[in-house]
Amino acid sequence: MDHRSLLERWLRGIALALVVVFFMFPILWIVLMSLQTNETILRSPPSVVFTPTLQNYAALISGRLETEAGALDIAFMSNLMNSVILSVGSVALALVLGVPAAYAFARHRFRGSEDIAFTLLSFRFAPPLLVLLPLTLYFQDLGLADTYFGLIWVYQLICLPLILWIVRGYFEDISPDIELAYRIAGHSWWATFRRIALPLAGPGIAAAGLLAFIFAWNNFIFALVLASADKQPVTVGALAFVTASGIQYGQIAAAVVLSIAPTLALALWAQRYLVEGLSLGAVKG
Amino acid sequence: MHEKEKDLIRAWQRGLLDRRELIRGLGAMGVTAASAGVLVNMMQTQALAADFDWKRHAGKGVKLLLNKHPYTDAMIANLDNFKALTGMNVAYDVFPEDVYFDKVTAALSSRSSEYDAFMTGAYMTWTYGPAGWIFDHNEWIHDPAKTNPNYNWEDMLEGVRKSCAWNGRPGGALGSPDAKQWCIPWGYEQNNLTYNAEMFARAGASVPKDLDQLIETAVQVQKANPGVYGIGVRGSRSWATIHPGFLSAYANLGERDLNVSADGKLSAAMNTPGSKAFHAKWVRMIQEAGAPDWSTHTWYQVGTDLGAGKSAMIYDADILGYFMNGGGNAMAGKLAYAPFAASGNGAPTPNIWIWSLAMSRFSKDPDAAWYFVQWASGPEHGLFGATKMDFVNPVRASVWADAGFRERLSKNYPGYVEMHDVSAPGASIKFTAQPLFFDLTTEWAATLQKMVAREVPVDEGLDQLAESVNRQLKEAGLG
Repeated sequence: MDHRSLLERWLRGIALALVVVFFMFPILWIVLMSLQTNETILRSPPSVVFTPTLQNYAALISGRLETEAGALDIAFMSNLMNSVILSVGSVALALVLGVPAAYAFARHRFRGSEDIAFTLLSFRFAPPLLVLLPLTLYFQDLGLADTYFGLIWVYQLICLPLILWIVRGYFEDISPDIELAYRIAGHSWWATFRRIALPLAGPGIAAAGLLAFIFAWNNFIFALVLASADKQPVTVGALAFVTASGIQYGQIAAAVVLSIAPTLALALWAQRYLVEGLSLGAVKG
Repeated sequence: MHEKEKDLIRAWQRGLLDRRELIRGLGAMGVTAASAGVLVNMMQTQALAADFDWKRHAGKGVKLLLNKHPYTDAMIANLDNFKALTGMNVAYDVFPEDVYFDKVTAALSSRSSEYDAFMTGAYMTWTYGPAGWIFDHNEWIHDPAKTNPNYNWEDMLEGVRKSCAWNGRPGGALGSPDAKQWCIPWGYEQNNLTYNAEMFARAGASVPKDLDQLIETAVQVQKANPGVYGIGVRGSRSWATIHPGFLSAYANLGERDLNVSADGKLSAAMNTPGSKAFHAKWVRMIQEAGAPDWSTHTWYQVGTDLGAGKSAMIYDADILGYFMNGGGNAMAGKLAYAPFAASGNGAPTPNIWIWSLAMSRFSKDPDAAWYFVQWASGPEHGLFGATKMDFVNPVRASVWADAGFRERLSKNYPGYVEMHDVSAPGASIKFTAQPLFFDLTTEWAATLQKMVAREVPVDEGLDQLAESVNRQLKEAGLG
């Protein structure tokens, strides 16, 4: 039963609405911009009354924008596809490599284990430009320059430390006794890892995977330096609308909406795991 | 094609007819305008091929690193002609301008052989050249075995051509006899006035003729047009704030960025009495008639506000005014152009930005790359870009002399041709060439921001700037 007064409930509702408006307003504004032409967006004074148009989305999807100034070729959808390939590929590889490694670091103490774990963590803190120029030289020699494989490899600098360190925490929170009991029942180490440890750490792995995906999706510099124009992600591709002859604000807004859609969808889908996963590692028993 | 049409095009190529007479003549023979364009291009390609072995590198490929720009669009639109002429393949990567120079620097500093040639600005070659990342292009320009006889290097506007040449000595004069040609001019920008003719008429204002009038006019037009600010100039904390209108006016008043002593040592020249007087006026202009958010203004905001009708004029790149007079801009068709000399002597000396082409020293086949560079910077492509695309401003005198090009510009861009004609003789890079260029000019912009924000008085701010510049020059062994 709610014991709060009517006034208190009203004030609480207004405060919550203000918070929602404050945080959602930029997104709402971008969505509104994406439905306007450049001329409408730039009119002075600005107005929220306009005739909506889908021409920005149509231009992005068709790859061609027809304006009064002429036609503009847009490679945004291939940028979006590159982001998907690079982010999904790098998170998948990081999960394959990072989860067993996290389990090993959590369950087995061996000589140099902490040093190795910290070395991997330090990748996260290395300034990208510091490593990118030498990497460019190596990549050229190895034939990895301008390949998805090479980029996914470099993206491990972002994903692997994140997954390894977050998932390690979850494995450490799971009581080893459960695994030992399963082992005593005659099961192998691999079966214990697969049937006991992995399902118990599932929410944590999902949370770490999602965070790694967001970081990979937002990366800008790796593909810019190491790859050609046809392998650039959306973070670089969205800048193509800022040209010497003007800024295409409508297309930028539509590009932002399209580029946050996959991450948003993934986050909404994984929300339950995310909350569960983040809170799981937060409390020590 | 019939011989009569061929003869007519040959007559035009020999200069016996102008472009209008050619089109009229072809029209009389029943050739449509579209077909005429194809025929002329084809004949020009054949004429080019007749005098030079363009097929020497047939079958080879070059890869270019390009900035997303109307110059690039013009080149891509004409690329099939180059391929047909040479039998070469051309691959290219186009990157947005915001990240373009990061990509170039990464490619060159890592000694990548991926790109054979790339777009650059002349200022950037002050870093790339001494670092050994690019060639001295004189080796190719003056070699008749490698450069076609119609290339006509001297046709490049002198101020522009020389601004891309430097001997590599800090403080060395651009275009000196011992200078290395670090890049080949492609298209360029002068800094002059673009103004909204309607807003000026509403205010009863005329085009300003000196710096004092510029400030007065900006204030006058601002008062007469509610919601509009008087003058757009750049203001972000970047070297790019210094190089357009600011340095053009500064240089026209006889001021310099750095002094060069007889023994080649550099020292700051920003705190002379003349410089302080100029800065005081410039700061007042921004405070009284500049954008309210001036300190964030880059090329984009200056142009966008003019195109959207939020500013009455800009003192910036002429081609920015050109772009804003077309497309989907609210003020399209209402903009006009005028040369500007801050001193009032009627002889503008605009500082310029030059989009150029340079060959990477790490290219595996620079001779083949030069074939592309000489074609792209040649008179035929220059004329194609200027008349069919937005390849303004061309860097060749012959293109500026073309009646069709002048007519096209004058029709839609009132005053543009006259503005160019008046200011081209004095147009060149006014900075002192030296390797700390970007650091020192960025600090200059930061000081300007403090002055406009009234954080520091002009005199004191310039003394502090000069002290800091001198210290940095000494530390770098330049002062």
